[in-house]
Amino acid sequence: MMSAKIKTIERQGVSYDQRLFLIEVFKGMRVTFGHFFRNLLDNSKLYVRHYPEVKPEITPRWRGRHRLTTHEDGTVKCVACFMCQTNCPSHCISITAGERNDGRSEKLPVRFDIDLLECIYCGYCVEACPMDAIRMDTGIFSVVTADRQSVVMGLDKLLATPGAFTEEDYKKRGL
Amino acid sequence: MSPLDYLLVALRVAFGAFVPLCFVAVLVWMERRGAAFFQDRAGPNRCNIFGFRAAGLIQNLSDAVKLVFKEDIVPGHIPHKFYFILAPVLVFVTALISFSVIPFADTLVLGENSYVMQAIPLDIGILWFLACAGFSVYGIILAGWSSHNKYGILGGLRAAAQVISYEIPMGLALVSLLVVYGTVNLNEIARFQGQLLFGMIPAWGVILQPLGVILFIVAAFAETNRTPFDLAEGESEIVAGYHVEYSSMKFALFFMGEYVAMFVSSAIIITLFFGGYQIPWLATETLVAYAKPVALVLLVLLPVANYFFTGWIRRNNTSHYYRPNDPRVREANIYIRCFWILTGIVEIILLGLLLADTAPETIRIFVALLQMATFLLKTVAMCFVYVWVRWTLPRFRYDQLQKLGWQTMLPLSLVNIFVTSAVVVALS
Amino acid sequence: MLSQWLFYGFATLAVVGALGLILSRHPMNGAMCFVITLISQAGLYALLSASLLFALQLIVYAGAIMSLILFIIMFLNIQPADLPQETGRWGFLIGGSLAVVPIGLLLLKIVRSLPAGETTIIGNGFGHVKSVGLVLFRDWLLPFEIVSILLLVALVGAIVLAGKKETIQ
Repeated sequence: MMSAKIKTIERQGVSYDQRLFLIEVFKGMRVTFGHFFRNLLDNSKLYVRHYPEVKPEITPRWRGRHRLTTHEDGTVKCVACFMCQTNCPSHCISITAGERNDGRSEKLPVRFDIDLLECIYCGYCVEACPMDAIRMDTGIFSVVTADRQSVVMGLDKLLATPGAFTEEDYKKRGL
Repeated sequence: MSPLDYLLVALRVAFGAFVPLCFVAVLVWMERRGAAFFQDRAGPNRCNIFGFRAAGLIQNLSDAVKLVFKEDIVPGHIPHKFYFILAPVLVFVTALISFSVIPFADTLVLGENSYVMQAIPLDIGILWFLACAGFSVYGIILAGWSSHNKYGILGGLRAAAQVISYEIPMGLALVSLLVVYGTVNLNEIARFQGQLLFGMIPAWGVILQPLGVILFIVAAFAETNRTPFDLAEGESEIVAGYHVEYSSMKFALFFMGEYVAMFVSSAIIITLFFGGYQIPWLATETLVAYAKPVALVLLVLLPVANYFFTGWIRRNNTSHYYRPNDPRVREANIYIRCFWILTGIVEIILLGLLLADTAPETIRIFVALLQMATFLLKTVAMCFVYVWVRWTLPRFRYDQLQKLGWQTMLPLSLVNIFVTSAVVVALS
Repeated sequence: MLSQWLFYGFATLAVVGALGLILSRHPMNGAMCFVITLISQAGLYALLSASLLFALQLIVYAGAIMSLILFIIMFLNIQPADLPQETGRWGFLIGGSLAVVPIGLLLLKIVRSLPAGETTIIGNGFGHVKSVGLVLFRDWLLPFEIVSILLLVALVGAIVLAGKKETIQ
């Protein structure tokens, strides 16, 4: 049996100089002033990203806006099996299936809407998809519009958005 | 009364009324940028007018515009609307008028006339400040009570209990101070601090009353409801305390009242303990006698200081990422040019003072201006301490706050009175 | 001239505030009216160039005591339903003021029989902190100390009364 590693933490605030408060207050103020002074002298040392100009780096594991993938010949991979719609906890996906004539399968989606205002970006749709037809690898994390209608992603928009990563990087994301 | 008298009255009143108001903007800016720098952030630095961001001061302007044009709501559930509207006014006005007894320069002697450099020439000095501090409680109580809101009442109760209980150690800390100075008049107190102890140390209150300083500053923090005593508005527990129900300009009055109170209590702390308008080692008469050497030193130091300051602007007012044709560099160049022009104007004035055959009145006015600048500089430094403490210390728990007030500060201030009185009696 | 008008203003405000204290139904209104009375009294003291008394009136009465009273009113959170039904209130008021009329007439007579005095400031530094302090601690030291002991007794009594409940149970 492995013995648990016990670390006894010294209890603070019992010695007389700590109970006096003021010394500790001045110590704390020295720390904060050090930060202030360093940043005041040279504000390039701030721990910030100048966001709208400098974008954050997105890793392949990151779940961004959805897209629908296609075969090499450009036909949609989705077979309208409704797995994602059934699995979606926030009911943001609505699919209408149609007959498929290109020989790949029997069905294909004629409508595939994702309401991004409903979506919670949990990624269950990606995990549920048996065809690797829906992915969240666009790297788009900011969805801002002035009206509700334009955040409902239709089939054409979902197909038009390219993935932000190479196929190898996406495979290596380790899920 | 001569036209000069009227002019000076107008100037003094204007200083007393507008300086705290203008410093609201400066303090809000200092709080935001200071908070950001304490936490390694950048703070408001995007708001601009034609690309001029004025180091983030434009953000205050936009906030003010927002607050002015927001809808002014008096909630329908409030039965006592008069008190609801009266409360923010009280908070703001009491904070503003308590500044009026603080001297911002030594008595200005022009020929035979002498002018007390404070907005209202009252000689009860510090008592007026205490009276105004007592009145600011009304605003808080009325706001909390008339909001007819649980959080409002809780916040009002907390703030009122805190202010009332910290007025006692504050008053007692003042008593020992008054024993030392032998006067309640703030101008005389400031003049007392122009003396030297043992011929080398300025006789500031901070040296004569080391315990008194700590007690008074802690009590002043509690009086202004600032961190670590800001549990009246503890946003995590009672939303925002007594100003939950307030919106637009009524909220802005509370907000401005808080910063005016911070400015005024900084000014009081400065006047009582840090020499007021006195420049260390240069009391008013010394300054008048050595006005020309002082002007010469300023003449030399000002360009040097401006050189380093503009260098600092050039280094920091750039975009810290790749940006072709960086507009911030252009902005910085304009700022630097403005500062050099300003320095040039001041230099010309100083040169005129040095070369021209100056009347004693001119020297007096120059000394008064120097003292005003010193006073404002010291007060802003004290305000910075307020900001600094706010972003360092966490909030007190309510029982700990009352315990500190009644069980630590009250006995300590009593002990301080006894010791001070004994020393003063023994020495005299 | 200005001081006379100020006197009239402050005196009127003091009386109006006192009337408001008696007549207003909600305790908060009464308390605020009383604050007005106290402030205008402070103004009257200032007109008499008693600057220390002016400051103390503002700090102690208007600032501390009344804010404690307001504090307690806020604590009690009195609703309109909690207030007593005062039927026949105006009758009582008119009857009471009629009953007070003889005393008022007597007072008026006394005031009128007073010799006309010039209002001038007595000596230099009258009513300032130093002079009042000297009078208080030189000529009236014993009464001053007795009053402070009285206040101390009241304070101790209040604490004893407040703490008693726990010892009974």
